[in-house]
Amino acid sequence: MNNYMKISFPAKSENERLARTVCAAFVIGLDPTVEELTEIKTAISEAVTNAIIHAYDNESGMIEITAGIEENEVTYIIEDEGCGIEDVEKAKEPLFSGSGDSERSGMGFSIMEAFMDELHVESVVRSGTKIIMKKRITVNEK
Amino acid sequence: MELTLIAKSRMLVMRIYGEIDHHTAGEIRKRIEREIKRTGAVNIAFDFGRVTFMDSSGIGMILGRYKTVQALGGYIVIYDASEQIIRLLEMAGLKNMIILSDSLQHGINEINKMNGVRI
Repeated sequence: MNNYMKISFPAKSENERLARTVCAAFVIGLDPTVEELTEIKTAISEAVTNAIIHAYDNESGMIEITAGIEENEVTYIIEDEGCGIEDVEKAKEPLFSGSGDSERSGMGFSIMEAFMDELHVESVVRSGTKIIMKKRITVNEK
Repeated sequence: MELTLIAKSRMLVMRIYGEIDHHTAGEIRKRIEREIKRTGAVNIAFDFGRVTFMDSSGIGMILGRYKTVQALGGYIVIYDASEQIIRLLEMAGLKNMIILSDSLQHGINEINKMNGVRI
């Protein structure tokens, strides 16, 4: 089953739920486990929250998610046109938080890495960030 | 969310409904901090039995409250959490900082033990 979709929405925190719910629903046809769905929801939530807090610093902007399914593999691309990440490797370090807010745990990229099979981050300062995540859904042998 | 005070344990019990993310975590934080000041409670117990989703914003919210109660000499209890949430707490290294229990009473017993109170 091959399929694709594209959604875009303003970078508002109330849309975090929309994004992860739509992205989880997109793979339903692959018959994922509850655990796989939770992992996808969590990884998407982290990527979208990053875009809202860091890329746009809570200012207005748009976030676009493109998703595709090939065989049993789903790819999500989360793109923003925000400030970009100066040092991607540093941002990916566990517990690194680019935000001055002490309530941020700095776990976003660690969670995306742990819950998805592949994670790529492309970022250009003052232009935007693109997060590409892939996950292979376990095929049920019936 | 629902807040209850157990005065004799100086504990706020917070039952959270639904999803904890960046959007909802701020409101939870505000309410707890306000109630801690108002009631003089030093311990917080989170009832996670009705939490259907949590991401790292929830971890940040718990870490922030850990700092609050630590300064007051209190503890954080989390009970009735799902497997997925326990996995996140483990990833964040929070398991050694909080009391993870299956019920409120067990959590209170653990605090009493640590405070050296005979039970």
